[in-house]
Amino acid sequence: MLRYIFKRLLIAIPLIFGVLTLTFFIIRLAPGDPAAFFIQPGISPNVAEQIRAQYGLNDPVPVQYVKWLGNILQGNFGRSFSRAQQPVVEVIASALPITMTIALLTLVANFTFGILIGIISAVRQNSLLDRFLTVTALFFYSMPEFWFALMMIIVFALKFPLFPASGLNEIGSEGFGPVGFVLDRVWHLVLPVTVLSINGAAGIARYVRGSMLEVIRQDYIRTARAKGLPEKLVIFRHALRNALLPVITIMGSSLPFIFSGALFIEVIFAFPGMGRVTVDAIFSRDYPLIIANTFISGTLIVLGNLFADVLYAVADPRIKL
Amino acid sequence: MIEYSRRSSLISGLAGCLFLVFVVLSLSSCGRQNAGSGKPRTAMDSTLVITIPGDADYLNPVLGSTVTSSNIMGLIYPSLLQSEFDTSTGLLNYVALNKKLRETTNGEAKKIPEGAVARSWTFSADHKTLTYTLRSDVFWNDGKPVVSGDFKFTYMLYGNPVIASARQQYLAELVGAEKGKVDFDKAIETPNDTTLVFRFYKPVPEHLALFHTSLTPLPAHHWKNVKPGELRNSPLNIAPLGAGPYQLKSWQQQQELVLASNPKSDLPKPGNIPLISFRVVPDYTVRLTQLQTGAVDVVENIKPEDFTALLKANRQLEIKTVGLRVYDYVGWSNIDQKEYHKSGKVIPHPLFGSARVRLALTHAIDREAIIDGYLKRYGVVCNTDVSPSLKWAYNARITPHAFDPARATALLNAEGWLPGSDGILQKQGRRFSFVLYTNSGNARRNYASVIIQQNLRSIGIDCKLDVQESNVFFDNLHQRKLDAWMAGWAIGLEIDPLEVWGSDLNRSRFNFTGYQNPRLDQLCDLAKQKMDPFGAKPYWLEYQEILHRDQPVTFLYWMQETQGFSKRIEGEELNISGSFYNIDDWRLHPSANIAQ
Repeated sequence: MLRYIFKRLLIAIPLIFGVLTLTFFIIRLAPGDPAAFFIQPGISPNVAEQIRAQYGLNDPVPVQYVKWLGNILQGNFGRSFSRAQQPVVEVIASALPITMTIALLTLVANFTFGILIGIISAVRQNSLLDRFLTVTALFFYSMPEFWFALMMIIVFALKFPLFPASGLNEIGSEGFGPVGFVLDRVWHLVLPVTVLSINGAAGIARYVRGSMLEVIRQDYIRTARAKGLPEKLVIFRHALRNALLPVITIMGSSLPFIFSGALFIEVIFAFPGMGRVTVDAIFSRDYPLIIANTFISGTLIVLGNLFADVLYAVADPRIKL
Repeated sequence: MIEYSRRSSLISGLAGCLFLVFVVLSLSSCGRQNAGSGKPRTAMDSTLVITIPGDADYLNPVLGSTVTSSNIMGLIYPSLLQSEFDTSTGLLNYVALNKKLRETTNGEAKKIPEGAVARSWTFSADHKTLTYTLRSDVFWNDGKPVVSGDFKFTYMLYGNPVIASARQQYLAELVGAEKGKVDFDKAIETPNDTTLVFRFYKPVPEHLALFHTSLTPLPAHHWKNVKPGELRNSPLNIAPLGAGPYQLKSWQQQQELVLASNPKSDLPKPGNIPLISFRVVPDYTVRLTQLQTGAVDVVENIKPEDFTALLKANRQLEIKTVGLRVYDYVGWSNIDQKEYHKSGKVIPHPLFGSARVRLALTHAIDREAIIDGYLKRYGVVCNTDVSPSLKWAYNARITPHAFDPARATALLNAEGWLPGSDGILQKQGRRFSFVLYTNSGNARRNYASVIIQQNLRSIGIDCKLDVQESNVFFDNLHQRKLDAWMAGWAIGLEIDPLEVWGSDLNRSRFNFTGYQNPRLDQLCDLAKQKMDPFGAKPYWLEYQEILHRDQPVTFLYWMQETQGFSKRIEGEELNISGSFYNIDDWRLHPSANIAQ
């Protein structure tokens, strides 16, 4: 297994590198100019030119590529164009933990609620409860996250002011003490994590229900029931374990999705995480930052998939890596 | 046994969930008490919260280029002069401690002269030498005096091409600039710490000389060891040393920037409100929600469609307006852009090349309907790019081209555009059909473009709409690739339109329409040569008549900028030169005093 993981990691290196190279050329082909902000009346026409020279954008693209390659191989992602020349690594280092927190909380909530709802739906198949849960799940699953987020803000921040509409902390939260500060942070995270996880949980519930229904009809479940095992044991120990196999694959691959979902959520809730960094970087044509973000999300996708494959082997002894 | 352990884990999970719900609910109820019951919110009582859609870039006047940065730097750094906008004339006035450019005729200008570092100035009779006398009693926050050398040092940074300051245009009249490089030894002299001399290579009107020499300074002693190439990356940029009414308290980038009143400041005095927090909230709806719940005090650029709901939901809010500096227009390519790109030849555009056709298009567009439907009383029909707020130059005798589809049709018929079999106008086999482009994410322009499409359709013109991502749209505009588009301009307070209308299409980078009129170039030059703005008035009046006649674009409407304010703020004076013009004089009502 270790050999397999090592092999997969080795393959990942050229893969991610290829993605970065593609991104490098695609963003330079896209219309728009990182110095566009400086092209306006009252600003000397020299400024945009000087800015481009500073960014090294006046060289031919192949030359830029070679220079970029040299820097990347030394682990230097450069400095951000749009964020006051802050080193890209610093920008990411301050944004990544915020997104990771949201993503992990969401992941946990996703699977907890998704699996629970899925089991209930499957065990009580075609009952009123199942129909209700199915319709509700489909309702949330088909709802765009950014719209749902705005609706949640309107309901829970405006009409019933239970939760804050944006930001990571309240004004003056530094004075709340460490416990108060953390609680304040949790309070600010409730709405965004709910928005992200309801949508995901609905999808997972559908998966779990489907695979549970398939498993419940298997002979070994009938055997388990026939030998007089309590229903709970049959469902949780015999059925659920087997039904969760396909779900495990989703777990690994859902991390990048949660990340991309965080994109909208962070803009709407004003969290300075990776999502906002990416959106801002794209709109301002901040090439070094776009590349670094691609690197992070690319790595996550590759690692997520690897993680799923490994989990699969751990959960199902029939699969050998 | 197994069942027991499963059950116990289920129970502990359930208990965990319940605890979380409890924590969240108790927390949220705290929040509710704060917001609703009128309990004093001590942190909020001493903090003014302003939302901003994007963070400040640099807190360094040489580099900072966003409006947010300028607003914040205006509070941190000292300034040579104070400027104030005289609403009775529409002219900017400059004030030193003991001297004013001109006496203001109304009582609205409230900037106190103690905010200026300059005590006085003299301007030579040949309009080429400006000599400032500085105060000797003002100090940077580290205790060192503000001296003339600080200004010279910073001007050398502004003019350094390696630094690429967006404000280098301000140095364009200094000695040496005519040869491409300012000669700082001759252009700026500092015979002693309180004398600062600027020399120009040509005569410059006094107001322009004051405007261009009053750029914000940096403390030279603090910055002198930073190499120009390193300036953008210097850690000093996020720890600014200033002398103004506020100083930087904390800055969590992309989240919140907090300024604290500067107890040492005597330029003019420490700010009234102890803390000012600028919170980054990128989403408009969320900014609006926060204003409504009282979490923030100021939100800029509120859309007119949201006023009613906002004011109904929270009576402690009010809408303040500033203007008029911003207008929208429909641009018509006056020349055949394809031919111009191919051969450099200027020939009239097949659809919009004739002034009569463009006039017809203006007559066909119901500008009042757009204003009534969207801007309401916050919009005014726009005739030319000279704002009605610039009263000294505005031509009030021009009457707007009325909405008159019949006259539009007559004009088009006279130009040879006659209805074809499909109802669309045709001339020599060419249908009057085009795409009107605009940038995405602008609800107002979307609204206007639909009305324009309907208006034009009713006189037999086929106008298709296309919305492009902003970067792409402006890129296309700058490259003169579009035939018809909808965009807008925010005008400066000095009239300087040559970059937008100048006939030299290579130099006039913002002349997207390709409009050429030698008389207009001449008028701009004549006006610039006048040393007194009022002397230039006749030229600007004629300039507006020409634009009104030729309709190089269809000017749509001037817009008031509309800002949402909490009523707990007192003493705010909004001004065309900025919403935060006198923010150091604002005061906050304690929350307990606000009627809930």
